[in-house]
Amino acid sequence: MSAPLLRLDTVSRAYGARRAVDEVSLDLHPGARHALIGPNGAGKSTLLHLIAGTLRPTSGRIHYAGHDIHRWPAHRRARAGIARTWQHPALARPLTVAQNVLLAVPGQHVAALRLRPRASAAALDALDQVGLAEHAQWPTSQLSYGDQRRLEVAVALAAQPRLLLLDEPSAGLATTEVTRLAELIRALPTDIAVLLVDHNLDFVTAVADTVTVLHHGQHLTTGTPSDVRTHPDVRRVYLAEADPTKHVPTTPGATDPPAAAPPVLRVRNLRAGHHGAPVLTGVTLNVRAGRVSAVVGRNGAGKTTLINTIAGLHPALSGTEIALNDRLMTGLSARRRCRAGIGLVPQGRRLFAGLTVAEHLALPRPHPGRPRTITARQILDLFPALGERRHHRPHQLSGGEQQMLALARALLAGPQVLLLDEPSEGLAPAIVGQLAAIITGLAATGSAVLLAEQNLALALDIAHDVAVLDRGTIALHAPTADLRADPTRLQDVLAVPTGSPR
Amino acid sequence: MVNAYLVSLAATALVMAVLAMSAQLLVGLAGQPPLGQAAYLVVGAYTAATLATLTSLGPVQLLAASAVGAVAAAVTGLLAVRVRGTTFLMVTFGVGELVHAAAGQWAPGGSEGTHTPPVIALPGLAPMVRPGWVYLYVLACTLIIGAAVTVLTRTRFALLLRGIAAHEPRVQATGHHTSGLLLAAYTAAGAIAGAAGALLVAVTRYVSPADAAMGISAIALAAALIGSGSMIGACAAAILLVAVRDWAGGLLSGHGSTLLGLSFLALAYLPRHRLAGLLRLRDRGRT
Amino acid sequence: MGLSGLVNPYTITALDGVAYGLLLFVIAAGLTLIFGVAGVFSMAHGTLYLAGAYLAWHLGDGGWAGLGLALAAAVLIGAVGGAGLAAAVRPLTERPLDQVLATLGVAYIAADQFSTVFGAEPRSVDPPRALAGSVSLGGYQYPVYRLGFVAVAALIVVLLIWLVERSRTGAIVRAVVADPDMAAATGLRTRTTRAAVLVGGGILAVTAGVLGAPVIGPAPGVDTTILVYSLIVCVVGGLGSIRGALLAALGVGQILTLGVALVPGAAAFVLAAAMLIALTIRHRPSLAGRPE
Repeated sequence: MSAPLLRLDTVSRAYGARRAVDEVSLDLHPGARHALIGPNGAGKSTLLHLIAGTLRPTSGRIHYAGHDIHRWPAHRRARAGIARTWQHPALARPLTVAQNVLLAVPGQHVAALRLRPRASAAALDALDQVGLAEHAQWPTSQLSYGDQRRLEVAVALAAQPRLLLLDEPSAGLATTEVTRLAELIRALPTDIAVLLVDHNLDFVTAVADTVTVLHHGQHLTTGTPSDVRTHPDVRRVYLAEADPTKHVPTTPGATDPPAAAPPVLRVRNLRAGHHGAPVLTGVTLNVRAGRVSAVVGRNGAGKTTLINTIAGLHPALSGTEIALNDRLMTGLSARRRCRAGIGLVPQGRRLFAGLTVAEHLALPRPHPGRPRTITARQILDLFPALGERRHHRPHQLSGGEQQMLALARALLAGPQVLLLDEPSEGLAPAIVGQLAAIITGLAATGSAVLLAEQNLALALDIAHDVAVLDRGTIALHAPTADLRADPTRLQDVLAVPTGSPR
Repeated sequence: MVNAYLVSLAATALVMAVLAMSAQLLVGLAGQPPLGQAAYLVVGAYTAATLATLTSLGPVQLLAASAVGAVAAAVTGLLAVRVRGTTFLMVTFGVGELVHAAAGQWAPGGSEGTHTPPVIALPGLAPMVRPGWVYLYVLACTLIIGAAVTVLTRTRFALLLRGIAAHEPRVQATGHHTSGLLLAAYTAAGAIAGAAGALLVAVTRYVSPADAAMGISAIALAAALIGSGSMIGACAAAILLVAVRDWAGGLLSGHGSTLLGLSFLALAYLPRHRLAGLLRLRDRGRT
Repeated sequence: MGLSGLVNPYTITALDGVAYGLLLFVIAAGLTLIFGVAGVFSMAHGTLYLAGAYLAWHLGDGGWAGLGLALAAAVLIGAVGGAGLAAAVRPLTERPLDQVLATLGVAYIAADQFSTVFGAEPRSVDPPRALAGSVSLGGYQYPVYRLGFVAVAALIVVLLIWLVERSRTGAIVRAVVADPDMAAATGLRTRTTRAAVLVGGGILAVTAGVLGAPVIGPAPGVDTTILVYSLIVCVVGGLGSIRGALLAALGVGQILTLGVALVPGAAAFVLAAAMLIALTIRHRPSLAGRPE
């Protein structure tokens, strides 16, 4: 076996106390088609940044083609043959398509006035590979989103890389485009190694020979796509120990769904996009008082976009209708929505850096017109851990405490509907259990809760009904009990690595 | 009706046009707005004035001013290229004002400034005293500098700078040291500003620290912005702004600053098709 | 070693430096908060100081009444000026370059009006008669007003730091700096906060002008000088940081007084070097997006 082109040797990257990448070791040989998968927050993108040089590892070594490159700046790594794409197309929009590719074509003199025929041929060649040769003279901003993604691949290929890093190349592409992209990557010369991060497991299976699963920044397993799909640890990570067939309802809240109440939050035909790519193409759902509604879906399905659009942090496209107690929220600012009664516990918590716990709790004030549903004292009863840490700042708190603080901050504004975006992310199972009890308790006291979760076990555990988000719409919306009775329905839509029956 | 005052005003306007090209190189191509280009103008002007004790030959003064302007920009640029966007503007403004202050301390003549003899355009010719000849000399030099800048904007270097303005990480990921490229652009802009300084000395035969004032840098930046990325546009806007400040201001008994201030306000509020990259200066990838 | 051993021409100059530094801090604190909260680099900030200094010259009558009147007018003018700037930059949100141009335009027009109304020559402002004398500090005569200025400025510093770091108002301001979107989703008035910081910064700058007029008197060009030095304070202290600005202001104050006394002419280079060091430490090369 030849020497590896890229070798990661116990590479770690820490943000404060959190280790986004935790002692990951990996070998990549020339010609490899290697995929990194894992739930949100697993450290996949961070790992790509570490290899590309846009982030430096906190510890560990990165060997590439016989050099220790872990201290090299990004441009030097690029010169050594590491090319990359970003999660969202990173292109120079004012330039033409051909100029974007020419930025990357090597062997040109900086002071050159004329384009060398060889360089323009190389640029056209790269564009031809992705099928964009006819658009060479177009302004980049006029390309469709899918074409922009392909152009990015062309830019990366034009650099004649030995290692190609692709960050979620299939995100935002239509099915046919994904198929074409998979063919393109498979058809790349065999001396190029490809390392890609993607959420679309069908795409990963179609492209990759080897798959590495990351979880909480740690290496979980590496193997062929089919090995990985059946690996028990991977099942555990993706389903978080949920086995819908064997589920026993443990929480009291899940047993008495008052389904007839009028919806507190009504969402009709919600449409939103990122950088011109449609993410949500018409989401309709209701959230009722006293009930927990969960939105599940694979990574990148648009759960966070949905939550943020409802909260007013992400622009909705025309036609969207969001109403709280029959009051139209569409067009209102995030502040007005909060005052009207939409509480947000965002993904990643988004606590205010530098503010103490006490200051976080002093910030929210409920609308004077609404009865105050909760006081700071009640909050401290609900989250006793916060009381002991009043003078601590977010970076001094554990993940669980941070999540409790984010929840407390939202509750203090007296919300009528609570939006929870991946509250279990990065938390230990025991803390997730506590969290589940708190959320169930909130619903029992009459709050409406909309929960976006990747942790299927948690969602099935505490939600009264589950909506599955897929391809921009709600593909399935059913009471949790029905889904427990018929688990294959959920697995079909989610396409999680469920493995074959043992 | 063309009097000597108007002719020397026109020559001053050309000097500002050269300085505007220097600013345009940074803001129009690389997307980084400089507010300290007058510093390199005054460095060039003092170089020319110092050299004037040895030779009155204009082109020699011009080349020397340009070289020293480039060196000054290369040194101070180390500061500027560490930041981008509005912070770049703030840092270049700070550097420019520090040069302004240092000029009052260290430059010959102190805050009073220093006078220079008239320059000679070419060996064998007489020193240029009449404004008309000075104007033609400055015009010729401006055209030569403009031609050189036009060549520069057609190089691969300029393409890379435009790439940096649009998406710096992308250019970095294609193997280019973007801060190095920006420093090169800053140095080139300093050379052009230095040349403008030599031309200023040729026109006014006098240089003082006041020539490094923020107002000069502000006009250069505003002209570049009005020019929306085009070198000719920047030159035209610079000439227009000097006309507003000095000529129209003169007609209104010395309220040139107010007119200039109104022009800046108009520039800020009137809708313009500014380079898309400039509008995204504050975009720090918040998701 | 008593007091007299400590007092020599250099410590007297250093005391001047403390006064200068505190003055710069009061001005730069507004500038750095305005940048942190609203993302605006206000080129008209030095103009507000100059307005205050002219106010002190115009209303000063050598008594307490004049100073009191000038201070009351300073609060009014600072609030109006800050609110005006807030209204001026409001339509230019997310267009930082246009904000710079607009505030620069305001600064130009104001500077022209000042020199028309108050003349082009520097004006010297006398402190109130009660503070006009000097005291003996270990054998050296030192102006009483300057000591009083240091005391009042120190009080303002303490109040300001308390307001920003200990009060709920300050917590709101810092929350908006840290994450404006999330602050809005928590129900905070981000736009009002931005305007309020511009108003507060305006009041601070004009008040600093009134109090500082006997130290740095009104003259054309003082607006730019004050703007540059407070800008350097902001850059060295870290944009948006109050404590950083305090340390940087005290340092810059020493460089501009003690530094000038020790090594005349080196101040510009030392300040540039300080900026270089601050930027090198703070802006390590990382252009990466955030982690996932």
